[in-house]
Amino acid sequence: MAHTAPYPVSATSQSGALARVAVIPWYVWCAAIAVTSTTVGLYWDISWHTSIGRDTFWTPAHLCIHFGAILAGLSSTYLILTTTFGKNRAKKEFSVRIWGFYGPLGTFVALWGGLTMLTSAPFDDWWHNAFGLDVQILSPPHVVLILGIFILGLGGLFLIIAEMNRANTETRSILNRIFLHVGCMLTILLLMLISEYTGYTQSHSAIYYRALALAMPLVLVGIARASGYKWAATKVAAIYSVLWLLALWLVPLVPAEPKLGPVYTRVTHLVPMEFPLLLFAGAAALDFLLDRMAGRNKWLQAAVGGAGFLLAMIAVQWPMGRFLISPLAENRIFGTNYYPYMQPPSDYHFNHQFNFYERSRAQFWVGMIIAFAAAFVMTRIGLAWGDWMRRVKR
Amino acid sequence: MNRVFLISFAACVLFGSRCSAHVGSPDVFYEGYAGPYRIFVTVRTPPMIPGIAQIEVRALDGNVTDIRIVPLRAVGEGSEYAPPSDRMERSQVDAQYFTGKLWLMASGAWQVRMEVFGTQGKGESAVPVPAAARRTLRMQKSTGTLLIALMLLLVTSMIAILGAAARESQLEPGTATSAPQRRRGRIAMAVTAVALVVILFLGNMWWNAAASGRADIMMYKAPPVEASLQNTNTLVLKMGFSSWHDRRKQMLLDKIIPDHGHLMHLFLLGLPDLDRFYHLHPDQVASDTFTERLPAVTAGNYAVFADIVRESGFPDTMTARMSLPDVPGNPPIGDDSATTVAYLSDGKGLGTVLTLPDHSHWEWIIEGQTIHARQPALLRFRVFDKDGKPASDLEPYMGMAGHLVIVKHDLTVFAHVHPSGSMPMAALMLLEKQNNSGISAMTAMPGMHETARPAEVTFPYGFPEPGGYRLFVQIKKNGQVQTGAFDAHVEP
Repeated sequence: MAHTAPYPVSATSQSGALARVAVIPWYVWCAAIAVTSTTVGLYWDISWHTSIGRDTFWTPAHLCIHFGAILAGLSSTYLILTTTFGKNRAKKEFSVRIWGFYGPLGTFVALWGGLTMLTSAPFDDWWHNAFGLDVQILSPPHVVLILGIFILGLGGLFLIIAEMNRANTETRSILNRIFLHVGCMLTILLLMLISEYTGYTQSHSAIYYRALALAMPLVLVGIARASGYKWAATKVAAIYSVLWLLALWLVPLVPAEPKLGPVYTRVTHLVPMEFPLLLFAGAAALDFLLDRMAGRNKWLQAAVGGAGFLLAMIAVQWPMGRFLISPLAENRIFGTNYYPYMQPPSDYHFNHQFNFYERSRAQFWVGMIIAFAAAFVMTRIGLAWGDWMRRVKR
Repeated sequence: MNRVFLISFAACVLFGSRCSAHVGSPDVFYEGYAGPYRIFVTVRTPPMIPGIAQIEVRALDGNVTDIRIVPLRAVGEGSEYAPPSDRMERSQVDAQYFTGKLWLMASGAWQVRMEVFGTQGKGESAVPVPAAARRTLRMQKSTGTLLIALMLLLVTSMIAILGAAARESQLEPGTATSAPQRRRGRIAMAVTAVALVVILFLGNMWWNAAASGRADIMMYKAPPVEASLQNTNTLVLKMGFSSWHDRRKQMLLDKIIPDHGHLMHLFLLGLPDLDRFYHLHPDQVASDTFTERLPAVTAGNYAVFADIVRESGFPDTMTARMSLPDVPGNPPIGDDSATTVAYLSDGKGLGTVLTLPDHSHWEWIIEGQTIHARQPALLRFRVFDKDGKPASDLEPYMGMAGHLVIVKHDLTVFAHVHPSGSMPMAALMLLEKQNNSGISAMTAMPGMHETARPAEVTFPYGFPEPGGYRLFVQIKKNGQVQTGAFDAHVEP
């Protein structure tokens, strides 16, 4: 037992379930709830836009997103203020100092994320007035918002990992579960961010694998490395798959109707996002290869791990894409029978054929080479980031 | 051998067409019936699409208690399923005045369908609305200042956070920072600062590219047209597609359809005084080419306005300028017409009363009121015979009681209006067919009766901006198309 609990725990709460709750600081729960709320809100918002369309600041989806930002912002601010101006000197020992304020690194990062999310609001409002209500995810103000959300999630991760790195074995195990959950939320956020390039109809294009390579190894390797537990990346991918499948199957049970014209497709329920990626294949490849190569040169680990991730993803997504465009997938299980209200019936056939992003075979292969290079680089960055997080104590 | 006589000239110097169907006059004005209720509808289209259209309805006849509105595509996919309708707000001051707003989510031909409820039961109507983005909005200074302040805060705080992360985040609790750690923190801050500058630079480039790309995709551009004179007196108009249209061919249904009997309504306006006016109807000789054998035309510079309507009901006004020599020709025949304003004017500008060569006279019934920009109004013109009695021999001109062409003196506004409104009649006919109302739109619209007309012709319209305008009113009387010109000064 190398670490102590961050705060004194009373004798009566040293054992049993009460003890487990007692040693998890309140702000860890706040961070986990904030990231979850924001992630759920973002999924809900995308579904809202494809099913209902009309939105205001006060849609439930927006409220979910903003609740996450407000919760993270308020809890971080409170923690920083009480640490800086409170009488408990012990708190400062677990803190970093920024501009004279004290608090765990994660609180400052989360606060920064919340502030960035707030910044995106007037930017987005102006963008809508100047260029119309956007229908794309990756507009500049949306990227600012998503950056804020992502940084907010990172703040949560840093808060938890610092606790983990100071905790005893039992507490660390509980914190690890929360850490993997928050890591999964970050993974989901990233997958939503790149979803314009990872639709199943693009799974025979290099852009699909370039987007995956740029986004996934970094977060999966970083989280797995920081967690230190076996098969951590696979667990994250498994949680993502379960949650995404639940969304695919449950979201359509919620009644909804379009409130914006033109309505091209009659929609009577919320439209879910597509069938989840088979990410556990790539994650398992990463876990397996990096575990087998532990202790070897990091660059070599990155090369083998990144290539393994991408090959595993190609091996599963290539045939899966073929299956998903087939009539066999047009059901509630695989969800290719759902169309957003703004998709004209004359365009339905696009959902059942491949959309080849690259215009030539040469472009495709260049794209795939870039994908492998990206997987290598991002795996290496993920290793460095994960190793850095394992040492964070404050 | 055909002699190419004078070709174009500054032909096709497009003067910035700022909106579809008309130039610089984006709002839609409609007067018609919803069941038993006569209504005046104004649709103020949003400057950017997607955007919010403001709808105003005034009940002119009958006691209207409630109105519900919903936007749909005019034809084809998207016109079948309607989102839930919105209830318009009834004015507290004027019980027969209603306002509402609707999202127009895409460019192209729309309809605002309305259900009108009142003491005489329920009535329905649909107003065609062409939607196209006209302008982007510059960022307000206050918003810009706020964003810059927030950006500076975020940048400096990120530098501080990463400095702290490198300096002390991995220290054991309670341990003081050492000199190497502080140095590491400073290096991290410097690297972060450089990285953030690079990121902001790249982000700014992306923002500019994204904004410009978005504006390029969304902003309406009129189709280009080349006007030339061939074989002494044949006007040839060769039209193209703007990039805006190229992207929307499937939605616009680019085939051109007749608008009260003609595929194109062409207006030639003499420059600089707007003293010569030609309303012609060229024939389509190829998918992109129209020709017109000109009547006699006086030499000079002309502004060209060519109105067409797409199969979806979306109208375009193409613009060009050209110089013409003296063109020999016959007087206009059929629906074509020509007039010069000089003989109408006594040199003091055009008033609200004018006398025609047959000694009949026209009066613009304005009753001394000041005209304000963006204020919807019924423009009323009364025709008297030479004995001073209300004329009883008006005839439909191309199926309409009258046509009104409104041109701002600086040519930044051009509108072709009918008694039922500022939208093309072809679009109204499409809606009538689409909505299968069972009532002929033509007979339900003001000024569309085939029988003799009363002596007054009205046009619903609102001038878009302050300034001087010339109005060309056209009626048919005793088998002859007559054109009267009036001037209007519009106050802010």
